[in-house]
Amino acid sequence: MKSVNQHRKPLRLFLSSLIFILFFTMQLFAQDGNAKNGKKIFNANCAACHKLDARLVGPPLKGVTEKRTKEWLFSWIKDSKALIESGDADAIAIFEEYNKIPMTGYSDFSDQDLADVLAYTDDKPVKDASGTSGAATAASLGIDSLQVVKGKKIFNANCAACHKLDAKLVGPPLANIADKRSADWLKLWIRDNGALRASGDADAIAIFDEYNGSPMTAFPELKDADIEALIAFTSHASILEAKAKTGDTEVSNVAEVASIPWATYLVLLVVVLFTIWVYFISGNGFLKLMMTIAILIATGYFLYAWLMGIGVDQGYKPIQPIAFSHKIHAGDNKIDCQYCHSNAKHSKLSGIPSVNVCMNCHKSIAEYTGPVTEERDKVFYDGEIQKIYDAIGWDKEKLTYIEGYKQKPIEWVRIHNLPDFAYYNHSQHVTVAGLECQTCHGPVEEMDEVEQFSPLTMGWCIECHKKTELKVESNGYYAKIHEELSKKYGVKKVTVAQMGGRECGKCHY
Amino acid sequence: MKSFIKITSVFALIIALVSCNSEQRSRKIQYMGDTDMYDAVPYEAYSADHKVFKNGMEAQTPVVGTIARGKVAYDYPNSEVGYQLAKDSLRSPMKFKAPLDSIYRVSKANLAQGKHLYNIYCAVCHGKKGDGQGDLVKREKFLGVPNYKGRQITEGSIYHVIMYGRGIMGSHASQLNDKERWQVTHYVEQLRNDLLK
Repeated sequence: MKSVNQHRKPLRLFLSSLIFILFFTMQLFAQDGNAKNGKKIFNANCAACHKLDARLVGPPLKGVTEKRTKEWLFSWIKDSKALIESGDADAIAIFEEYNKIPMTGYSDFSDQDLADVLAYTDDKPVKDASGTSGAATAASLGIDSLQVVKGKKIFNANCAACHKLDAKLVGPPLANIADKRSADWLKLWIRDNGALRASGDADAIAIFDEYNGSPMTAFPELKDADIEALIAFTSHASILEAKAKTGDTEVSNVAEVASIPWATYLVLLVVVLFTIWVYFISGNGFLKLMMTIAILIATGYFLYAWLMGIGVDQGYKPIQPIAFSHKIHAGDNKIDCQYCHSNAKHSKLSGIPSVNVCMNCHKSIAEYTGPVTEERDKVFYDGEIQKIYDAIGWDKEKLTYIEGYKQKPIEWVRIHNLPDFAYYNHSQHVTVAGLECQTCHGPVEEMDEVEQFSPLTMGWCIECHKKTELKVESNGYYAKIHEELSKKYGVKKVTVAQMGGRECGKCHY
Repeated sequence: MKSFIKITSVFALIIALVSCNSEQRSRKIQYMGDTDMYDAVPYEAYSADHKVFKNGMEAQTPVVGTIARGKVAYDYPNSEVGYQLAKDSLRSPMKFKAPLDSIYRVSKANLAQGKHLYNIYCAVCHGKKGDGQGDLVKREKFLGVPNYKGRQITEGSIYHVIMYGRGIMGSHASQLNDKERWQVTHYVEQLRNDLLK
């Protein structure tokens, strides 16, 4: 009895401090959980159709709370249709503006969820958008800079499709062309090179033969002044670049501060120390019993969670043979997903582009010019582009495919993979249903390295089939069956599940 | 000694939990391991190391001189001569041969599909209006993309260029099938007419 009494005081002190620490950490979570949780919800639900700073399917959402009241936003997100039907002018206007595509309703969001999402749309730091105009004046250099600027404009609009300044493209490089040919000769050649060749000019015939006999497009509409400006640009282009570079430092986003670990580790440490104390120091039988039960329950919980996670590869992010960045291609350059994954519209698989599709752009883009970080600098990116050329056998100096080259396939690692007993078809979801790729694959256009965004479990499929309504507009195939089914179920719009999207045999056979 | 084992096992557990935070570079285990319930008996798309093929790859190119089922032969050569020939003589099957109710007829539906495809495959350089001001041009990745207004193009030459590419533009034949190429062709003609107005 005495010994128990002796132990009671430190125990109480210990427990109260434990509770204090728990409370403290919970508060920490609550504070930064707001916008963070909002981001999670945003990415999982909104990001398919909304971006923060740009229009996607729906309008950009940054600072949306400044435009609309919280109450309005809550009722819009929960059920936009009801809001439109109630005659709200703002709601009708936005509906009309976005081609009358109704927004999916999220009636199952709690007010806390909504507040988190709105906090996220407010909080996101503004991306550095200090663009530089290449049209910097260089009056100080003593060259007629206006003429050079004008020349650049003409060059970009007419010549750049086939010529670069410092490298061969379809035609020869044009930097300092004035040193090789006279202005008069260039004028004749540019306006009508066919006539110049017909007149028997030796230089003209030589250049025609050197470039495989493909004639240059004639530009009879260019005036003397235009061509002089062009020549000025080809000789003095460097003054523009020197100006442009000075303002070209892009600030890369600061890495997100990892906020979870310390609080979690502290709590864990306390719990472990407490456990050790209970078993080895306290000598209190009741406490030991309770602790044993608690440990058993916790073990069961973690074991169950672990078992449920088997075969679920959410977050899988393998190292690919080329550090291809979807962020650069689909995000920054806005190339459509289906440009490369062109099979998605007809086929079960979305398709991995063959190298000729890469080469559609990388024939002329052999160098990376975008923003860089410390790990990924220009040399790194250029090396990655070189890997395409090594695979297909492209000579980037001569701009031709190397004859007789033994091509090597690029062995991409497949990320999204359903087991063989489940059938999934991309064309049905992309072409028939008209889904955005991001609905299942998440914000791929923001990922440098792609990872599996969705769990791809059966429950996840069914959940979406249950709440997604059939897209019957401009789809004659569904018109009749939809009419019959909507009568049968007594609903206006039939969901995918009601159409049969929950039958076992549709996906397992 | 006993307590030592317990203490170390507890610390091992902590380390295991902490290490969960790192990036997931390999797949997790799956139920029923490598049975055919999970892994297909037939060859998976794009898979390699199959002895029946010379180069081991599942994705084979068509035998030279053959045409895959459902594809259409295109006889104009990939050259300047072929381009001129196509420009002068190639005409869309959608306009002339197609009967009134054919899906190949130039119809609203075909133009709408052409627009959809154009916006995916062409607009990133050529611009949504065909004025040569696509996103890649605005970002100065590609320059000198022509405005359709300023070029003498015919349906034959448009189709030919989609098929083989021209200048720095590459072939888009692998991304669009025959019918889709014609749909895009007619939409490009429509854009050009709009620009010429």
